[in-house]
Amino acid sequence: MVKRFDCLKLLASWMDEHMLTVTSRGGNAREWAHLRPGGANFHSLNLGTCLGFALGVSLAFPRRKVIAIDSDGSLLLDTSALVTVAEVNPPNLLILVFDNQSYANMGATATARAADLEKMAEGAGIKKTGTITTLEEFGTVVRKAFDAQELAFYVVKAAPGRERVKVDSRFIHGRPMLENFVTVVRNHPDYRGGFTPAKE
Amino acid sequence: MDEESIAIIIKTLKHEKIDLVVTLPEEPTSPLTEEIRRDPYFTSVTVAGEGHGISLCAGASLSGRRCVFVTGIAGLLVGAWSLAQMGVLYGIPVLILASYRGDIADHSGISGAQLFMFQQIGEPLLNALRIPYKVVDKKSDLERRIVDGHSACQGFGTPLVLLLTGDVLWSNDSTA
Repeated sequence: MVKRFDCLKLLASWMDEHMLTVTSRGGNAREWAHLRPGGANFHSLNLGTCLGFALGVSLAFPRRKVIAIDSDGSLLLDTSALVTVAEVNPPNLLILVFDNQSYANMGATATARAADLEKMAEGAGIKKTGTITTLEEFGTVVRKAFDAQELAFYVVKAAPGRERVKVDSRFIHGRPMLENFVTVVRNHPDYRGGFTPAKE
Repeated sequence: MDEESIAIIIKTLKHEKIDLVVTLPEEPTSPLTEEIRRDPYFTSVTVAGEGHGISLCAGASLSGRRCVFVTGIAGLLVGAWSLAQMGVLYGIPVLILASYRGDIADHSGISGAQLFMFQQIGEPLLNALRIPYKVVDKKSDLERRIVDGHSACQGFGTPLVLLLTGDVLWSNDSTA
């Protein structure tokens, strides 16, 4: 098992300013917001909505790497998204599912149990899949996928718990986070326009 | 849905520069989504579940890609969790064209009990989710409603549903 924070720290070191990320709730959002405070990051998507949202972002920014930082509990709520992702097959999408085998915010509650999330993704039709159990593997296997132009899906077996990090909570939840994302995205060199926020 | 309604919708989507169409096929709108799939102007995504279809549209829309989700009342019920997240929580504009299953013009083959359930739950669900909607039952209104709906959902900052029924959806056998 790996420590999620160590993997995310590596991931953050690979990112350029124009890449986009989408995270599920909880530790994924907090730790990622701490490690990548700037850039186009949409944080804290609730259970079952991260993968679909990331797919939409990948279709809006086809020339940029989009990374979905999801969790086991979140993926399980809508595994049919794997089928859609496999068929669309966006070459710029990298999916990382940090699997601590629990709904971590509630303590020890089982998620996938005997199910193999990697095999579920493979069975859905995603060609490049893997399960990561060490930081070294993350640094080599995921790095290779990060650099490639090919849809990839990795389950990262992560130890329960989260790193104690300082983060401004306003910018990982709700409307302030969204407005921050929109501001960054609208200044992105690949932005095609189309979103007009509601007047206050 | 007949060829005239399909032609109006495709023309209006192009006018609005909506080039990403997301759907989970359902009976009355399938001729539309099949036509869209054949048209190279559009990127057509067929989802395996309405929940992530709505999330997909939200991610694309917020990132500047103009898109529409084509579904029916059942799809709105299945996608309610995502609609609550993308609508009430975040206020992300997503234009939705939904066949109004269970409207009194619905002459499709599914059971009356099922249609009645849609009829009873569809609009109250949208009201509960605070999602604006408009019933579109005349072909003569269709183009204007799509243009206005697209503008309104972006201006309001919310998903918005156009419920298609009447001669828009059931032209050959409608009594509406």
